[in-house]
Amino acid sequence: MSVVNYGTREITCKIVYYGPGRSGKTTNLQHIYSQLPEERKGKMVSLATDTDRTLFFDFLPLDLGTISGFATRFQLYTVPGQVYYAATRKLVLQGADGVVFVADSQSRQLAENIESLQDLHANLADEGLDPRTIPLAMQYNKRDLPPGEISSIEDLDETLNFRAVPYFSASAINGGGVFETLRSIASMVLSRLSAPAPKEV
Amino acid sequence: MAADSKKTAEDDGGEFADFMADISEEIALRVESLEPKPKAQPEAKKATPVPPDAGLILEWENVVDRMIEEVR
Repeated sequence: MSVVNYGTREITCKIVYYGPGRSGKTTNLQHIYSQLPEERKGKMVSLATDTDRTLFFDFLPLDLGTISGFATRFQLYTVPGQVYYAATRKLVLQGADGVVFVADSQSRQLAENIESLQDLHANLADEGLDPRTIPLAMQYNKRDLPPGEISSIEDLDETLNFRAVPYFSASAINGGGVFETLRSIASMVLSRLSAPAPKEV
Repeated sequence: MAADSKKTAEDDGGEFADFMADISEEIALRVESLEPKPKAQPEAKKATPVPPDAGLILEWENVVDRMIEEVR
């Protein structure tokens, strides 16, 4: 759980981008990285195979500087979407404060979206995170593809968004909807910030 | 081409700035509401005032007289 540390004056939040393979999770992080001013650009760690698929995970530390006297950091992660990297997805989800589910809008990818969402719920539960309450934003990506190839936002939302969380239409490759999604999940995570529980003596 | 249409920090530097502005405001509000308040010093317990003659039998002589009277 994200915590305001009044001792060290730090706020650190972990946000995980989840979704099926090739839905655009890494592209989201790449766009965010491309928009960072030079002085804030740390290293985006991306472990990809030679076919450009995420092998392990992507990690983008977002150092927001000092806000209200607190050193504020967002840690953005992606998980590998391919089915056989289940253990890695579980590992990356550990301690997540919020999740962005990046769905592929292509009609033929609907089953993969559903499978990935079910996988997310199972892994959250395994990690002791409540899938019903963890901050979650839905992103329906690839809206730039021809209308004949993609499902409508309404259909996607009806099928995938049963928690009725905020959802965003996006074209991550062009940057559309990327920051809107990030702002929404960041806001949800921040609203759950808590002060650390006092230590028992 | 996707690469051509990709926005860069130069042509749309406002996205991150807008994000920062929103987040800063949110954090300020949150931090303020969670700031632990300094513990108030517990008020010293007021001692019950004890009258200076508490516990003393002031009419001792009378009591003795009465006891003697009773024995009789």
